Amino acid sequence: MVKRHRWWLDTVQFIALVAGLIYIAVLGAEQLNYNWQWYRVPKLFWRVIDGELIWGPLIDGLLVTFEITAWALPLAILIGLTTALLRRSNSFAGRWVATAYLEIIRSTPILVQVYIFYFIIAPIFGIQAFWACVLALAFHEGSFTAEIFRSGIESVAKGQWEASDSIGLNRVDTYRYIVLPQAVPLMLPPLTGQVVTLIKHSSILSAVAIFDLTTMALDLVAETFMAFEIWLTVGAIYLVVTGSLSLLVGLFEQRIRARYRR
Amino acid sequence: MTARMRFGWLDVVVIGCVVALLAYVAYRVHGHLVYHWNWAEPLQFFFRRDEADGGWVPNLLIEGVIITLRVSLWGAVLGMAIGLLAGLGRISQVALFRMISRGYVELVRNVAPVPFLFIMFFFVGNQILKPLGLEGVQDAVSPATGGVLELMFGELNLLRNFAAATLALALYEGAYIAEIVRAGVLSIERGQWEAGDSLGLSRLHQLRHVILPQAVQRITPPLANQSIQLIKDSSLVSLLSIQEMTFMGQEIAHSTSRFFETWIIVAAMYFVVCFGLSRIYARLERRINKSRR
Repeated sequence: MVKRHRWWLDTVQFIALVAGLIYIAVLGAEQLNYNWQWYRVPKLFWRVIDGELIWGPLIDGLLVTFEITAWALPLAILIGLTTALLRRSNSFAGRWVATAYLEIIRSTPILVQVYIFYFIIAPIFGIQAFWACVLALAFHEGSFTAEIFRSGIESVAKGQWEASDSIGLNRVDTYRYIVLPQAVPLMLPPLTGQVVTLIKHSSILSAVAIFDLTTMALDLVAETFMAFEIWLTVGAIYLVVTGSLSLLVGLFEQRIRARYRR
Repeated sequence: MTARMRFGWLDVVVIGCVVALLAYVAYRVHGHLVYHWNWAEPLQFFFRRDEADGGWVPNLLIEGVIITLRVSLWGAVLGMAIGLLAGLGRISQVALFRMISRGYVELVRNVAPVPFLFIMFFFVGNQILKPLGLEGVQDAVSPATGGVLELMFGELNLLRNFAAATLALALYEGAYIAEIVRAGVLSIERGQWEAGDSLGLSRLHQLRHVILPQAVQRITPPLANQSIQLIKDSSLVSLLSIQEMTFMGQEIAHSTSRFFETWIIVAAMYFVVCFGLSRIYARLERRINKSRR
């Protein structure tokens, strides 16, 4: 029924196709008289001067990207958890605030949110550009983590709530001892997946003055006119970083599933 | 457990926090920054008086909305085509098609959006669209055709940039649409394929006459949500100097120095469009579900 295809033939075809695309791209650049200067790219990673290692702008930018992500992730998780709990609470004001937050974040572009945090929130609260960007990302991702927490909490069987009700636990204790211990393992893989999303979305911060990897790329393109080399290099850096993270998250998810799914 | 609404300690805490936050913001804006609100200045960018005949004509903000919708519309059309092909490629029996689609989807999902858009913009703009000769379109067509084209694609001397940016956006969204299509097709029970098989239909015919008609119903709601995502993502093409809503917001904010008012207005405009669409979709979905039952 299922026709067997020779996978190696397809692989060869695929490689040929990719090679062809690259050839066409190079040929096109040649026709534009584009001056390839790949030899200048390694210096943008690091240089050794007098036996001393000096990180180049690309590594510096990548480190800032990681720094932003490292701060934004715990904040996003905190915001998401608070939102999810408020939405499930029986407090009128709590639900209203959580819903308003979610709808506003979901109905405006992340770029506009970054501008709002950078041009409005930062001067009002007197915070630095870096923290404005971290907060913008955290509040944006918070809407995703809220959804992860919601579905995680809802995946806990109804009987568990009723059981803890019947042994007289209050709401806080129910969450603490019954619901969250069961829900958190299921939520961990998608929450770690948020790291990938955060790294990707942090590129949008380049629209304002923050020295992440994408900003470095923009500056370098303006400085050196090596548009193709730098964008391809930066694209490849993102691909390697988030690609390997995605793989790790996938493995993590499989392990968690194997352990907790009956 | 089924939460009854009632006024409790949590309400007091939440309302207290919100009031304290608002009071602090008000104090900082008026007491510390001594900011003088001036809504009239950015608001005049909705409409302006035409100097020639004194009538009202749309100004930057309205023009921005139109370009945003134009980019989103073409992005949706192209993205759907790309997404459908890539989604079906993902479940193809031919390994080559699976590899191409998988490679494309993973590439988009693992490269940050801004570098992706720049790479696609440069490559597509320089290498695919330049040979097409979009540069000379405004001289080549008659004024009437030019008018129609302008309505569809915006100013014709900017056509190449518009096309490159839209295509870059469509390539970005296409990967997400591909995953929706794939999930929709995979959600159809195996028995449907087998039934098609036993009727002697070829795989293409099974897909066309048996599977896709059922899958379309399932993928319509997520596709509708993706269209809202597309409108939001279209703000990213402002970084490619396409003059849509976010770009106009930036122009106005910098030229008037009215950062607070301008960005609040731009955010509100996106909110109206996206929130309105999501309400409309939710209503349609409920109505369709009701009629199906």
